[in-house]
Amino acid sequence: MAYAYLFKYIIIGDTGVGKSCLLLQFTDKRFQPVHDLTIGVEFGARMITIDGKQIKLQIWDTAGQESFRSITRSYYRGAAGALLVYDITRRDTFNHLTTWLEDARQHSNSNMVIMLIGNKRTQSAFPWTGIICIYSHKLTSLSAIFENVDLESRREVKKEEGEAFAREHGLIFMETSAKTASNVEEAFINTAKEIYEKIQEGVFDINNEANGIKIGPQHAATNATHAGNQGGQQAGGGCC
Amino acid sequence: MFAHLETAVLITIIRIQITTTPTNSSCQPVGGYVPFAVLNPSHIASLNLYRDPEPHLTDEETERQTGDVLIMSDKDDIETPLLTEAAPILEDGNCEPAKNSEFVDQGAKPESKSEPVVSTRKRPETKPSSDLETSKVLPIQDNVSKDVPQTRWGYWGSWGKSILSSASATVATVGQGISNVIEKAETSLGIPSPSEISTEVKCVAGETNAKENENFSPVAGAFGVFSTISTAVQSTGKSVISGGLDALEFIGKKTMDVIAEGDPGFKRTKGLMNRNATLSQVLREAKEKEEIWNSNEVTMETEKKTHYGLLFDEFQGLSHLEALEMLSRESEIKVKSILNSLSGEELETLKVELEQLKEAFSLAEFCEEEEEEKKGDEDFTKDITELFSQLHVSSKPEKLARARNTAHEWIRKSLTKPLAENEEGEKQLEAENTEQVNKNSIEDIHAFAIRSLAELTACSIELFHKTAALVLHGRKQEVTAVERSQTLSQMTIVLCKELSSLSKEFTTCLTTAGVKEMADVLNPLITAVFLEASNSASYIQDAFQLLLPVLEISLIENKIESHRHELQGQKPLLEH
Repeated sequence: MAYAYLFKYIIIGDTGVGKSCLLLQFTDKRFQPVHDLTIGVEFGARMITIDGKQIKLQIWDTAGQESFRSITRSYYRGAAGALLVYDITRRDTFNHLTTWLEDARQHSNSNMVIMLIGNKRTQSAFPWTGIICIYSHKLTSLSAIFENVDLESRREVKKEEGEAFAREHGLIFMETSAKTASNVEEAFINTAKEIYEKIQEGVFDINNEANGIKIGPQHAATNATHAGNQGGQQAGGGCC
Repeated sequence: MFAHLETAVLITIIRIQITTTPTNSSCQPVGGYVPFAVLNPSHIASLNLYRDPEPHLTDEETERQTGDVLIMSDKDDIETPLLTEAAPILEDGNCEPAKNSEFVDQGAKPESKSEPVVSTRKRPETKPSSDLETSKVLPIQDNVSKDVPQTRWGYWGSWGKSILSSASATVATVGQGISNVIEKAETSLGIPSPSEISTEVKCVAGETNAKENENFSPVAGAFGVFSTISTAVQSTGKSVISGGLDALEFIGKKTMDVIAEGDPGFKRTKGLMNRNATLSQVLREAKEKEEIWNSNEVTMETEKKTHYGLLFDEFQGLSHLEALEMLSRESEIKVKSILNSLSGEELETLKVELEQLKEAFSLAEFCEEEEEEKKGDEDFTKDITELFSQLHVSSKPEKLARARNTAHEWIRKSLTKPLAENEEGEKQLEAENTEQVNKNSIEDIHAFAIRSLAELTACSIELFHKTAALVLHGRKQEVTAVERSQTLSQMTIVLCKELSSLSKEFTTCLTTAGVKEMADVLNPLITAVFLEASNSASYIQDAFQLLLPVLEISLIENKIESHRHELQGQKPLLEH
């Protein structure tokens, strides 16, 4: 319940790239392929541990629809981290990244950590792969292969392209799957690590709430044991 | 019971006026108001604890006490990001809670000693753990407070923290101790060399304290508080320079405001309405306080369940409120810039229309007076759904209705069971039920009541937020902004009524279940439920007020849009 820091995140990106799914997977560890369009913004929160410290992530999952743009911009303010999501099976969502990035940079603080996420969309062209999963765990790996084959065949944006874009704009990059939960944890946690490092380096003024960081009520910092890195493993990136 | 409640609320408000602490090291100029939410949920439960031993202030008394103080003009709210932890002053090792930043003169008494241990919730004040940090933050004040014998002020300080992070840090200044007052005043007035001044004041304050405390009874209560304040004004005022007065004046103004309003208890008071700028901060503060407490104390699960602030946050009420505030603020800026760009007739007509909107937004309070017709169970859901459809936004209040129905269902069950218990014949038939009844202790009922109130409030605020988003999003409008605001205003009333009737039902449950309980066990729980309901209603009304700028900008944009249409319509005609 008590946390050392609270980070505010925003999730942005085109509509339908799986922003809400990512959030749900991260906060509730479940996947819900069908859900309502996000109106304005929805919220999620979860506690993570970094460097032995409890950190609460307060996540603002914004609406991706173009018509909500002017509204969602209002929500950017005071975010410490942003997850910029595109769909690796839809090139247009990748092409729009620049606009999103400009928006984010313009409406939030300059130190905001941005994680670029290539999410993979979920519908499978092989409906029976799911059935196999249910009936036989042994076949799971098989179905995973099918799915990957399926995915790769529909992939429109190469991982290298995402990496290049991230490098060019100074972002962190990962490919995730909200469905299989692959790299989802890591995406959120690595962003938090980056923010945490920036705090340690003194880049963030934690006393300024406009930075999206709040010190927890507990000030746990003083006596926190360095329990090492419990915050999930460093993930290489590719999930496919 | 009701009279009790009102007194409690009045006193609370007065106290809050006095003890608020600035959270923010950067000390903003203050907005004129303390949000009504200063009735911090986390404290309400313990209200009754404070009330009794102290003489109640009458209006004249308060007036007299504050008479020394000038009325201060409101400044524009300036939103500054706040760091809540920064402000409090502490004495090292004194077991004194960080947030007990006191008026220095008063000194502070460790709460652990003076606080009765009854309430439904305990507050974190007694935790020494935060002391270290805070004393680091404001070392100057440390010295000051060391000079000071401790009095009942210890109580008061705890209220300060709840309000403090609000941008209305003006008020805040007051509770913080003289050196802080000065620092702040100095900041806002541009008086140079803060450290010099505060050192000076420190000395002055120290002397004053030394003298004063000799004849200052530790049990001075509310009276003591006021008299010390005025003494403080007298004795330190001179040295504090006009800057310090600024802040002190503010106490006076606030106190007067409160008295003038004279309408505590359940009904919202007019004057308190416009101060929603920092509502979410206030609430966040409340929640944090509870978090502190939770983190510091090994608490029972059940006790955790009754923390309104935490529950409210859990239901994402805080986030929605914050988001709503953002939309509101943004809209307000837009409205202002548009108004600035207009002139002449155009401006006048627009102003008239905006005035109509404002009227719709002030309706809510008046109508609220004339309630009291008991409504059936189905009506709420129907009303709300209907009102929502009138709004012509695509959001639906199902979540709210569900939350509300769950609460009512629970109450019904809980009420019918004890009855069965009384009827001997049915007792055996209902054996299973009665077993359950016994499990529903008054603590359970209380916990559920608080939870329901928090959930309902969170859902209501979510609805308002979604409405704001959709109103801003909507391109074409089937309904005018004025119509929408009327509907929203009615909705606010319906919601507040619902909260009120819900709290009544919960207290009925409590009284039914607690017949055998001692009054001093039961009453605090009942009071807590009523007060939490009252707070909930305030939050909802404040959230409603946040919608005003949103509807204003919607009205303006709609006007521009239709104007453009007219022009487009005219052009072809002209061309022909």
